[in-house]
Amino acid sequence: MTLLECKNLTKKYGKHTALNDISLQIDGGHIIGLLGPNGSGKTTLIKLITGLLCPTAGSVYVKEEPIGPASKNLISYLPDHSYLNGNLKVREIIDFFADFYEDFDSLRAYDMMAKLQINPCQKLKTLSKGAQEKVQLILVMSRHASLYILDEPLAGVDPAARDYILDTILSNYDEDSSILISTHLISDIENILDGVIFIKDGLLHTHALVDELREQDRKSIDTIFREVFKC
Amino acid sequence: MLKKLLKYEWKDTRKLLLPIHFAIVLITIIGCFILNTSIFDSEMGFLLAAPLLVLYILAIITFSCVTLVYLYIRFYKNLYTAEGYLMHTLPVTHTQLFHSKLIMGYFWFFLNSLLTTISTTALGASLGFHEAFKEMSGESSGSFIDDFFLSMGQTPDTFSFADVFGFTLPMFVFSLFIMILVCSFSSVLMGYVSVLLGQRMERNKLAATVGFYFGIYMVIQILTSLAVVIPELLLMNKYLDEPMNFSTQYIMADSFQTLFPAMIISYLLMDIIFYIICRILVKRQVNLD
Repeated sequence: MTLLECKNLTKKYGKHTALNDISLQIDGGHIIGLLGPNGSGKTTLIKLITGLLCPTAGSVYVKEEPIGPASKNLISYLPDHSYLNGNLKVREIIDFFADFYEDFDSLRAYDMMAKLQINPCQKLKTLSKGAQEKVQLILVMSRHASLYILDEPLAGVDPAARDYILDTILSNYDEDSSILISTHLISDIENILDGVIFIKDGLLHTHALVDELREQDRKSIDTIFREVFKC
Repeated sequence: MLKKLLKYEWKDTRKLLLPIHFAIVLITIIGCFILNTSIFDSEMGFLLAAPLLVLYILAIITFSCVTLVYLYIRFYKNLYTAEGYLMHTLPVTHTQLFHSKLIMGYFWFFLNSLLTTISTTALGASLGFHEAFKEMSGESSGSFIDDFFLSMGQTPDTFSFADVFGFTLPMFVFSLFIMILVCSFSSVLMGYVSVLLGQRMERNKLAATVGFYFGIYMVIQILTSLAVVIPELLLMNKYLDEPMNFSTQYIMADSFQTLFPAMIISYLLMDIIFYIICRILVKRQVNLD
């Protein structure tokens, strides 16, 4: 079954077209890189899939469900910025997720927190910026969701933290699920990707399997990206 | 899911609003206690009474304003800023999100209005006519309503509560309760409508929200004033036609009889209109920046 289907998706802000006629399909069991430079439309596409934006034209389906409570139940989403109430204790946020998402695994969340020596009784805002980002990632990866959407999970973190994030992503997603990772730090994630989507100026430039692309061009994805998006 | 949303809404809002409402109860109890002692009988005590009264009034107004503004800010912040990324990706409908905010917001502001009314009435009754009548005549009949009649130059037996206030005491309290019910709802909804209208703008959404709020507030003030003034003018006409019936008591009684229904109907209409607008705006999908 197709996990994610975007049909002729267009988003305009006034006269500016952020995304233009994007159509794509993602099946289960893949890690897809959503790649493009800043302002190419990656976050807009993600926000349309998660229901945070309303499309100007076109439609999105997750496991044949249109955007709504049913589709949101299937998606575990990590935004590119802090989105949790900093006044809440980590434990309270875990309870919140466990209450709303049937597929949330509290034990997994507490286990990961313990490994990082994050005290669940601490208020989120009292943690360091890096620790807050890790808490957000842990919450998202503690769900047994069908589709994980991670918007710039590696941006602004040190190399050691990047390793931790990638390890957390790889060791916590179910095999039937898919992960859509938006980033422009391709070299860091190239090895874990099995598919890529290139977005250029709001248009779908490439949607292909990594191995096919490498064989076809005899270049790394990072090199192909640099060529496609050369300024 | 609405129950779960309400649970978390309660947990979050109670942190600020529960202490505020405890404070209203506390200052009311302390105020009544002080007014029932002879502390203000001396000249120094009387001088102390004025600033204390001003402080009390300021506190009550501040508590109401803080409650309402906090509810508006929470609605905006929780749904349309960074926190909205969490709330709008929960497996719930937009209508459920809106209703959770509305129900909890209404609960708090209704409680606030009710406690404020009870507080001012309790302090007014403690302070009020006993002291006023003592000052004027040097004697007191010992009850609030009797003193009220006496201070107006009437003997207590001449007029009943209904003659002065237009309703029997239970009916007056009931009407006041209904008015607080409908008025609190529209107060909360007015802020929510402004936020939702502000979100329809392409840019400067927060500034647009504030603009919409003051715009709606002004329109509402004009309309409610008309709804109150027109029946009162008709009433005055009646007294001009029948000067024989002209007396303070009858004017007050008739005023209350026309004022309460006019206010209740006006606010009820506002509630319905605001709610319909909110439902229409909420049904449209969000566009978070």
